[in-house]
Amino acid sequence: MRRFRASLLILPAAALIFLFIVLPYVTVLVMSFRAPGANGEPYGPGFGLQGYAQFFDEGYYLWSLPQSLLLGIVTTFVCLVLAYPIALHIAGARRRWRGLLYGIVLSPLLIGIVIRSYGWTILLGNSGVINSTLRDLGLIQRPLPLMYNDFGVVLALSHVFLPFMVLPLLSALQSMDPAVKQAARSLGARPFTIFRRVTFPVSMPGVQTGCILVFVLAISSYVTPALVGGMRVKTTTLLVVDALIDQFQWPFGSAMALILAVSAGVIVLIFARLTAMKWN
Amino acid sequence: MTEVSLRSLVKRYGKTEALKGISLNVRHGEFVSLLGPSGCGKSTTLKCIAGFEETSDGQILFDDRDISRKLPEDRDIGMVFQSYALFPHMTVAQNLAFGLEMRRLQKREITERVGRAMEMVQLTPYAERYPKALSGGQQQRVALARALVIEPKILLLDEPLANLDAKLRDEMRGFIRDLQKRVGITTIYVTHDQGEAMTMSDRVVVMFDGEIAQAAAPEDVYDKPASERVARFVGNANILELPVRTNDEAGVELGLPGGLSLTIQRPVPAANGTLGVMARPEQIALTDPAAGHLRGRISKRYFSGGHVEYHVETDLGPLVVLAPTSQSAKEGESVGLDFDASRLWPLPGRTGSAESRA
Ligand SMILES: Nc1ncnc2c1ncn2[C@@H]1O[C@H](COP(=O)(O)OP(=O)(O)OP(=O)(O)O)[C@@H](O)[C@H]1O
Ligand SMILES: [Mg+2]
Repeated sequence: MRRFRASLLILPAAALIFLFIVLPYVTVLVMSFRAPGANGEPYGPGFGLQGYAQFFDEGYYLWSLPQSLLLGIVTTFVCLVLAYPIALHIAGARRRWRGLLYGIVLSPLLIGIVIRSYGWTILLGNSGVINSTLRDLGLIQRPLPLMYNDFGVVLALSHVFLPFMVLPLLSALQSMDPAVKQAARSLGARPFTIFRRVTFPVSMPGVQTGCILVFVLAISSYVTPALVGGMRVKTTTLLVVDALIDQFQWPFGSAMALILAVSAGVIVLIFARLTAMKWN
Repeated sequence: MTEVSLRSLVKRYGKTEALKGISLNVRHGEFVSLLGPSGCGKSTTLKCIAGFEETSDGQILFDDRDISRKLPEDRDIGMVFQSYALFPHMTVAQNLAFGLEMRRLQKREITERVGRAMEMVQLTPYAERYPKALSGGQQQRVALARALVIEPKILLLDEPLANLDAKLRDEMRGFIRDLQKRVGITTIYVTHDQGEAMTMSDRVVVMFDGEIAQAAAPEDVYDKPASERVARFVGNANILELPVRTNDEAGVELGLPGGLSLTIQRPVPAANGTLGVMARPEQIALTDPAAGHLRGRISKRYFSGGHVEYHVETDLGPLVVLAPTSQSAKEGESVGLDFDASRLWPLPGRTGSAESRA
């Protein structure tokens, strides 16, 4: 009886989840199986697999999927490589400095994602800060292709999502008993060996969390690829929005969104399996 | 087997001097405890020996070789931490193998030595477990085996039992002590628990404020403390300040209230005026109110299984007496107190002289 009443406490949360997560997903799922609409209707009467068929039939759409996933994976990797030294440094810093460094890492989050992405276009554009400086210095004749390509998108995405990698890494590193490293040292391990055999493996839970976070955020991002990629880097999210809003084809857009979500889920699962920690 | 010598070891953190010139010799295979209150510099001493802290001044010698500039990883030390500091992502066997792998031993030898070490601490059935799946006592034994399996020159332990419950702590005391004797390794053990230091060590080093107050066998630290502070830190101490009646080669006669006297049959230099003497609670016996050296009234009585602790109000102030349960007295009862004069210990710091009192 007590147990039952206590479980009532999760009802509000359960209701919220149902209303705002389960219901929309179900709607999208159902929508993806509707027949396409005619005469400007978003969808037609009855059900069908045309939404999915269109995605797999046309290379233009199909190829956006590996492109998106690869963009996500590369961004995640770049974030990890950039974030790890930052997290190590902050974890090892004196308490006095730690707050300041923390603030610097978090500061990108204070500025909206649109403005941050726009900032990158100012830097990377053909007549942007970098290119015009290099041209004025006489180092280049023609602008370097920094934007409207995968390079620019990965760069901007990595910047935008870096804090989401640093924070879990930092929390993993800080929860590590400093005596563990001393123990390794007293057993004869040199600094690099300690990092390779102790610090890094012990921080694996943070690596895992950070990678999953950044990957999921990166493949589902819209604003940054749209602005920095200038619609020339075709990610699945861009095509989904295009299908839903511009082409006004709800079943097709929904089908694409689901395919992207499922693919991302599979990759996250594989990653989690590969990095599973028996000790944790 | 290695001998460790600290020579005028000084450690400064900015302006604070954590160690103010520590000199100590630890012999081959000796078990020495560093005992002292929090902040007295026990851990700092250990960290200097291990190499985790650089010394500001002085030398650390292993077998007459100065190692104070060597890196910790080159000192060949086995260290056990209060938090155990096991590698959480390695099994028990992997934890033990780590130090041997660093020494680039052959796989076969590693397996063999790890196996022997696990047997030594009775952990063979737990070889494939991760530290999280072990009890505190088991983790402690892994930490101990991990430090010993590399056959280090010396073993350093920093409050290794502080996180265990009382019963397990008693068990581990004996376990560590036996193991140390069996292996015969020179050991320095840090603790703030005087009971632990007493039961385990060959020698106890009492430290206060970054200095060594006394380094002696447990019995001597207990019975013959170098100062009042040592006397009070190591167990319960009754300290009496008594007027000196006579003082010659034969001994010192001390005056007691009611015209009685106590004679310490040992010459005490410079004991004129008054002399501070220490009596441990079990060195005072309860007697008939008419007999004994001193009269008193029992104000508190605490039963603790094997014996009873009495707090007695006397003309010389409150005293603590530990008596066997067979000899029982009630609160409020008048009693006589009988001192064992042969075990009264004069405290040098408390010796007053006639001139300085005048
Ligand atoms: N890294 C440090 N920076 C500044 N002062 C320190 C540092 N480490 C220790 N101290 C100071 O040195 C003194 C001795 O510290 P230490 O850790 O050796 O004490 P301890 O005897 O081990 O005490 P405890 O029983 O609490 O562990 C203390 O006053 C402490 O504040
Ligand atoms: Mg300490």
